[in-house]
Amino acid sequence: MADFQDLNLDEPQFHASAFVAPLVINKSPQRSRSASRHTRQSSSKSVCRRTTSIRSQSQSQISPPLTPRTSREELPSAEPQAEFHNYLRAFYHFHPTSTVSSSTDESSITVPINQGDVILVHSVHPNGWADGTLLASGARGWLPTNYCEAYDHQSIRSLLSALTHLWDLVRDGESGDLDVFTKQDYVRGMIAGVRFFLEKTQCLTRESALIVAHVGLRRMRKGLLGDLSTLVKTAKKLQELLQSAGSTLAVFEALDELVLKAFKLVTRAVRFLDIWAQDAVSVPVPFDLSESTNRPLTPPVDSADAQIAPATLPLDLGLNEDATADHAAMVPQASSSTRDEREDPRSQQHHPRTRSRASFTFALPPTESSAPQSSSLLSAQPQSKRLSVTHRLSYTGKSQGLRRQNLASERLCAAHDSFLGFIGSFIGLHLQSRSSSELLMTTRDSVIACRQLLTVVEGVWERDSQRSDPLEHARATMYVKLSELVQATKEMFSNSESVNGEDVFMPDSGKQLVTAATSCVRAAGECVTKARVVIERIGDFEFEQAGPGISETILEGINANLEKETETCNQEPQDTDKPLPAPPPEPVARPPPPPLLISESKPLPEPPAPSPILNPETLHPVIVESPTAVSFRSSRSSLPPLSQLPIPTLPQPSPSDASQSPASATHRFFGQAGRADSVNVSVAGSTSTYPNSVRGDSASIISEVSTRATTPDHSPTTRHGEQAFISSFGSTSELHSIASEETTGLEAQLLEKTFVHELIYNKEGQISGGSLPALVEQLTTHESTPDSMFVTTFYLTFRLFTTPVDFANCLIDRFDYVGDSQEVGVPVRLRVYNVFKGWLETHWQADCDPSALGVILSFATGKLRTALPAAAKRLAELTTKVTEVRAGALVPRLVSSMGKTGISSTIYSAVDSAAPNPVISKSQLNALKNKTSQCNILDFDPLELARQITIIESKLFCSIQPSELLASEWTKKNTKKAVNVRAMSTLSTDLANLVADTILSLEDPKKRAIVIKHWVKISMKCLELNNYDSLMAIICSLNSSMVLRLKRTWECVSMKTKARLEELKTIVDVGRNYAVLRQRLLNHVAPCIPFVGIYLTDLTFVDVGNQTTRQLPGDDGHEGVSVINFDKHMRTAKIVGQLQSFQVPYRLVPIPEMQDWMEAQIKRVRASDQSNVQSYYRRSLLLEPREPAQAVKAAAPLESSAQSITSKDRFDFLSTFTFSSASNIKDR
Amino acid sequence: MSQREYHIVVLGSGGVGKSCLTAQFVQNVWIESYDPTIEDSYRKGIMVDGRHVVLEILDTAGTEQFTAMRELYMKTGQGFLLVFSITSMTSLHELAELREQIIRIKDDMRVPIVLVGNKSDLEEDRAVSRARAFAVSQSWGGCPYYETSARRRANVDEVFTDLCRQIILKDMKDAQVRDYDNPRRPHRNQRYPDRDSGGRTGRRTGEGSGRRRPKKKERCTIL
Repeated sequence: MADFQDLNLDEPQFHASAFVAPLVINKSPQRSRSASRHTRQSSSKSVCRRTTSIRSQSQSQISPPLTPRTSREELPSAEPQAEFHNYLRAFYHFHPTSTVSSSTDESSITVPINQGDVILVHSVHPNGWADGTLLASGARGWLPTNYCEAYDHQSIRSLLSALTHLWDLVRDGESGDLDVFTKQDYVRGMIAGVRFFLEKTQCLTRESALIVAHVGLRRMRKGLLGDLSTLVKTAKKLQELLQSAGSTLAVFEALDELVLKAFKLVTRAVRFLDIWAQDAVSVPVPFDLSESTNRPLTPPVDSADAQIAPATLPLDLGLNEDATADHAAMVPQASSSTRDEREDPRSQQHHPRTRSRASFTFALPPTESSAPQSSSLLSAQPQSKRLSVTHRLSYTGKSQGLRRQNLASERLCAAHDSFLGFIGSFIGLHLQSRSSSELLMTTRDSVIACRQLLTVVEGVWERDSQRSDPLEHARATMYVKLSELVQATKEMFSNSESVNGEDVFMPDSGKQLVTAATSCVRAAGECVTKARVVIERIGDFEFEQAGPGISETILEGINANLEKETETCNQEPQDTDKPLPAPPPEPVARPPPPPLLISESKPLPEPPAPSPILNPETLHPVIVESPTAVSFRSSRSSLPPLSQLPIPTLPQPSPSDASQSPASATHRFFGQAGRADSVNVSVAGSTSTYPNSVRGDSASIISEVSTRATTPDHSPTTRHGEQAFISSFGSTSELHSIASEETTGLEAQLLEKTFVHELIYNKEGQISGGSLPALVEQLTTHESTPDSMFVTTFYLTFRLFTTPVDFANCLIDRFDYVGDSQEVGVPVRLRVYNVFKGWLETHWQADCDPSALGVILSFATGKLRTALPAAAKRLAELTTKVTEVRAGALVPRLVSSMGKTGISSTIYSAVDSAAPNPVISKSQLNALKNKTSQCNILDFDPLELARQITIIESKLFCSIQPSELLASEWTKKNTKKAVNVRAMSTLSTDLANLVADTILSLEDPKKRAIVIKHWVKISMKCLELNNYDSLMAIICSLNSSMVLRLKRTWECVSMKTKARLEELKTIVDVGRNYAVLRQRLLNHVAPCIPFVGIYLTDLTFVDVGNQTTRQLPGDDGHEGVSVINFDKHMRTAKIVGQLQSFQVPYRLVPIPEMQDWMEAQIKRVRASDQSNVQSYYRRSLLLEPREPAQAVKAAAPLESSAQSITSKDRFDFLSTFTFSSASNIKDR
Repeated sequence: MSQREYHIVVLGSGGVGKSCLTAQFVQNVWIESYDPTIEDSYRKGIMVDGRHVVLEILDTAGTEQFTAMRELYMKTGQGFLLVFSITSMTSLHELAELREQIIRIKDDMRVPIVLVGNKSDLEEDRAVSRARAFAVSQSWGGCPYYETSARRRANVDEVFTDLCRQIILKDMKDAQVRDYDNPRRPHRNQRYPDRDSGGRTGRRTGEGSGRRRPKKKERCTIL
């Protein structure tokens, strides 16, 4: 506090600057503007000056504007709080003037509204003033809600919500979260919104009856499409800018532009709807009448009303970005003045100073003088339902850092998160240290977190005028669960204290505890969902800090518990017995909310009763106050501890919003002024960070950023000025003509049927779910080349979620609904063809796909032929080829496209180097050729043996088809598909058996030791060859009990060999989910034969561990539609892709003789081995019979597992043979 | 005392749903997308009788055909879940061989094992009667028998907890054995039979529940 007061004292020096202007803003718009321009250049030019000057007078009393009227008890805001509406529509004009401003010291930025204006509401102050942005102008500021009504029309709803979403995205973008703008998906929401809108109004196609009959509508429709196309262009520009890593400044300009374009689009849609509802629709209106009858008149800017409007509201014509030529003609004065001012260099010079001042003033807390006043007024204030500012709930929910932390939604999330965190550790780890004190701590933390969550939920519930029943119910449930949890913990303690030992066994209470905690988590989840629904309905609001009271009570209770352990039971009930409404009343000692004070002193202007257009008296003069408006944006959130103090800071407005609003509101056309604004405003935005001065020097850049929507979209640098200016105003005839040219193309895009809304994206922006049509649409998108991972995944896995016939039909549907348009239709149709082509060429599966062949062929000879004859011919050829070539793909697939990146480059790195010469002598070859002679494994070089094994294995590995790996195909008993996978596992087993066989067939321990050494060498060579599969098999066998138990044999094995073997064993260790092996395989260079088992296990678990479907987020509590869980398939494809990336043949020279010999050996082993492992074990026992325990202890040098050796003596040789009866024998 | 880590191996022939069992156990309630390829994919901390233990589960799902690998898996395990499907008698028969192998490799008759009949939700397709499975579990030295439904998440945690409890008890027994040099195990056959908690192994509910708790308490005091 003290710091801030100091700052306050410092302030005057900044104020000494010349451009302190009185609050002359909006009075009688045009005249005042020109007048001020002549008389006081500096003041009128930059809004920043205006706002700062205001601040100097206002003592940073942050509040919405004061009306000139005396306060009235029956404020409109005191009405039972209704739902929070994201959009309002003005039904009266409201033109605040500055006449009163000088007399009072209040300050705030009001925004003039005109009848029919549509406003995006950010927050609503308890006194009824709303912080909103005018769609028509992009101006943001305070406006009286009683002049407006909720605007929510069924047909335009989706467009409006798309706009809100866009706004939120841009907000996130300001904080650097720009990823979403690198794709254009967000614009599709707008397109879909427009499409839905036109569809609802039955004006979708040019040929629709209404459009043909009604000239006005036709024009409007065209304009609408034009607006949409500029929006799309802007989005593209932004995308390019981001991709080319353009300057931050440029990006933010583009973001600005984007928002303005979107606003314009929606404004036009609103007007369209007005005309449609008034004139055009003689047919029954497809929405409820009350809505349409209450709807205010069309805004005066509307082309339909153009004749009336100009006379009464000349300025507003300029403010609105109407594209009609008439209007353009009417505002030359304004635009010329704009230009004048834009070129005024002086205003630019002022920036630095204004900025610095602003940043200090804005951060100021309320002064002492205002405090007592507020408290006295508070007592007089009657109960108002709306206790604090209501905010719109953001859709994106990403920019938590940016947003106010005490918003209910944020608090809810934070509380839930911390609750989950604590309870998670509670469930999972809280007994880690089994000391009762630590357990108590965790418990306490969990309970506190839970309490906090309950408090927030309680707050939400209290605020909701309708007292949501489900929420209350959920809350009650959660409270019960929490009580149970506390109870369980208590029991636990009473037990633990009685035992008072280290190793405490309390099976049931422990279990009970975990159960209680788990159900608590569930209840909390439920509760949070319900609360969120309510918040969405009533609007977000600032949540008062739930005083530390709660937690302290509990804390005390538990601390006491901890200290006086003997009295545990007496202490705890304090918690459990508490009545349901969890939050105690004390913390509700909320900081005296200044909103109340404000609502007392600053009532809304009384809504004019008669038509305000004709009655000038109804234009209430309203003071322009300091931009202390409450703001949705949260610059404030970084004023950390202050906001929690019980001083009237709560509804403290972010100054930035307020300051920016007048700028855009009144000087929309003043290029220069606007520019100044944006800078100034942004400075204001950076004030919030002042306390920690995080942004520091970069403030000037970032500041540009922070005022997206309201900053006029011309660049601060004059060179783009004019262009941007023009393009941002649809009203110029120039743009109009441009727009009309583009309309056609966009129309096609608009008409495009789309399933975009049926896609789900994950946090990384990848598609994680979607319906089949939506996925197919993504597969054939015309905007960009489809993501290769996505395409490969689709080809690989589509048979798991659809049939080939359905897929083919879906593609054909896509071909149909894309239309004939040149712009969109042709590329998409080509993509459809390409998808078919890719399928037939490389991903055709002869066993199941031919069912779709008929569909494809008729498509090729029918629709495709008429559209793309050449493609049709090629496709028809492919269909016949596919039937001819029965097995395999037409185009040999070397490496899947997924594996290509990074690995393909290294694939034949040894292309020029010749394959290594085989290490084999003539005599050895002859011996191999001579079938009668007995060859021994020891006769050959380990390297060559390893090579030949690798060649055999590689052949199998490379022929594994992706389809073998899907849907656990290889585990099926009679699989015909997964032959190669099966062969791999068989080979692996055979090799292991061969190793055992070669060792166990020798009588002499020394000879066995030599063979072991040989195999260790071979496995070393396998490792060198990256043949992990064979390595695994050999090590498994050497490490098997039947070999490992041969104590006398191992005594003959050298230490060096043993050490090597140990080394190899760590590589193939199964522990920690094959961590070592996985690490090795990561980014491994092909050729390589990984241990296939890892992939098989992974694939199995991806399959069973992930659901097949996902839920689309439903609206308003409705259960969403379930769509394909594409994430699961992406994971599957990723694993398959990894495996495929290794499917590269080795450059080794095969020695057929040796391979034959090896295969013969394997066959022999396979034939001789009746019951496999057991027979080997028997042989092992015969070779080296069991020994007494002590001797065994000394042996088994390689035994690493924690085996109980002492038990050995209880088992004799026989018992291990007759396992089934062994237990009985033993236990008898 | 430091946190204990136990290795549990899940075995059973393909298609009995053992991977489903593991996945259900390992996944937390609030995980949306499961990635089995990371190191911690199969680790989970649980509470067993007031002790915190970390289980590392080795599930061989998908590699059933790599029979040579089995030993490798078995070596790492301290406790084993032998899973069959109640809809397939052969899946139960195949477990006998696995159990023999386990006992041979561990060289220990008392190695902690829990017999699990999965897919209890498919009652109409039942091919292995409870009595039959229970008899098998009795012939295996009275190892606990559970019927689970991974799909409905019935008895999943119980199975792992019970196995873990066995491992802990065995640890303690071994310690005693070492301490007092008394290898005789007093009540092998009295190891608690199937637990009644899930109500799915109905056969000896009264007996089982009646006996177990007091026994537990006793053990508490021993320590």
